[in-house]
Amino acid sequence: MSEKGFEPKIVGFLCYWCSYTAADLAGISRLKYPPNIRIIRVMCSSRVDPVFIIKALLDGADGVLVAGCKPGDCHYQKGNYYARRKVALTKKILESLGLEPERVMLSWVPASEAPKFAEVVKEFTERIRKLGPNPMKERVFV
Amino acid sequence: MALGVIYTGEPEAAIKDFVKLLMKHKDIQGAVIPVKMEREGSYAFVFTKSPEVVDKSSPIAPVMPVQGARVLSKLTKRKPLTKPAVAVLKPCEVRAARELSKINQVCMESFITVSFDCPGVYPTKSFLKNADALEEEFKKGLKGLSVSGVRPLCESCTYFTGEFADFEVQFAGINEVRIIARSQRAEAILKGLGKAEEVEERDKKAIEAVLEARKKAKEALKTEFAEKVSTPEKLLSVLSSCINCHNCRSVCPICFCRECFFDSDSLKTPPHLYLERASRKGGLRFMPDTLLFHLGRMNHMSLSCVSCGTCEDACPNMVPVSRLFALVSERTRAIFDYVPGIDDRPSPFLEYREEELEEYEMPYYEARS
Ligand code: SF4
Ligand code: SF4
Ligand code: FES
Repeated sequence: MSEKGFEPKIVGFLCYWCSYTAADLAGISRLKYPPNIRIIRVMCSSRVDPVFIIKALLDGADGVLVAGCKPGDCHYQKGNYYARRKVALTKKILESLGLEPERVMLSWVPASEAPKFAEVVKEFTERIRKLGPNPMKERVFV
Repeated sequence: MALGVIYTGEPEAAIKDFVKLLMKHKDIQGAVIPVKMEREGSYAFVFTKSPEVVDKSSPIAPVMPVQGARVLSKLTKRKPLTKPAVAVLKPCEVRAARELSKINQVCMESFITVSFDCPGVYPTKSFLKNADALEEEFKKGLKGLSVSGVRPLCESCTYFTGEFADFEVQFAGINEVRIIARSQRAEAILKGLGKAEEVEERDKKAIEAVLEARKKAKEALKTEFAEKVSTPEKLLSVLSSCINCHNCRSVCPICFCRECFFDSDSLKTPPHLYLERASRKGGLRFMPDTLLFHLGRMNHMSLSCVSCGTCEDACPNMVPVSRLFALVSERTRAIFDYVPGIDDRPSPFLEYREEELEEYEMPYYEARS
């Protein structure tokens, strides 16, 4: 795939109570954001087992976004704090083995902030576009 | 000074005498201790109430096919023992057991742990090829903690004393065998047995040279191995002989889940999806999901990995998994400044701080504009 024609594939794990609602609102409000993101709704950002992130990265995604409520606002009180620890751990593992931690992003998007959601997706998509296709997704021997 | 008992003679004989002494205490029932299996020639943990079995035991076994923490976990998974048993464990087994107790997988109240200066253990496969000779060498090197040919992670282990057990057995660098009470429970037991003497602790200098050598080996292993897995190509070649048998997970003391994600239906893919993956990638390696398994496990266990080396010992195909996990574990633990089995804090998965790890978050939209 040439750099030019490269359209990043992004998997987004969005928490039901905040970020998914914001994405929904962005849609209803007809806000424009890159169509590169494939959204998977989870009940809370803490539901995202790091294995999901890695599976996506090894099997087709160029980037993975995990988004949840702002710290202090998680519907389950502390889920996003645990999520932050797990994402930090995943990024550190990828970094330790030369596997591009920049392809994983954690962000907080409150339910009412549709423009922020659009902005986050735009920025992440651009970042991944610059990074180029994920070499892992095309490897046979993973 | 500390409460303890002093023995003269060989370390193993001292430990056996001490275990038999503990077993006389009214609140203790039995012992968990490594015993050499007569015909097979390897070693296994035995749970026993009989002093005769303790006489035949080998408290400091030259191999560790089963990690002791798994034994304690198995014994107390359903409920605690009615009275505690003595458990003679290597230092990394004590650390793993303490780590497991934080996540309710071992009931530490059920065990009085005894641990000792550890020279390391041989890889089981190399031991079985040459058992008699290695057994000799092990005995010779024991008191000086200088046994060559042990597991790579043993050579570079810097937590090689029994200080995190209830009773620490010291013998390296000194003439006699000093058994020191390291917990209040241990002190109470000695008092109950009428054996509580004040004894002098070993001077740290006595084991300084061993510690230095281990530290050096650790540095060397780190740099050498980090280089071997520094790019995806290299990592994949290190994992190329992996047959995805999951042995490394089955023997790991830290991997306790009853149902593992990697055995679950989530990874049982229908044929058309295999085909889809294969067309996308140009081909699909079988067994699939090998790298996923290892990277995924690192997420689950690396914060608690005690670098015991048992995973690598159990691997049929010489994949250097324990070195890989030790390397990654050191880096992930550094995020939380956490040392498994030694820290009294809960596992980092069970805690959080409201303000932390900002560097892993994307900055707020507001903050950026
Ligand atoms: S991953 Fe390997 S070295 Fe680490 S605790 Fe498990 S068996 Fe021991
Ligand atoms: S690393 Fe070794 S023990 Fe682990 S799954 Fe692969 S072949 Fe089996
Ligand atoms: S519910 Fe949104 S992060 Fe927990």
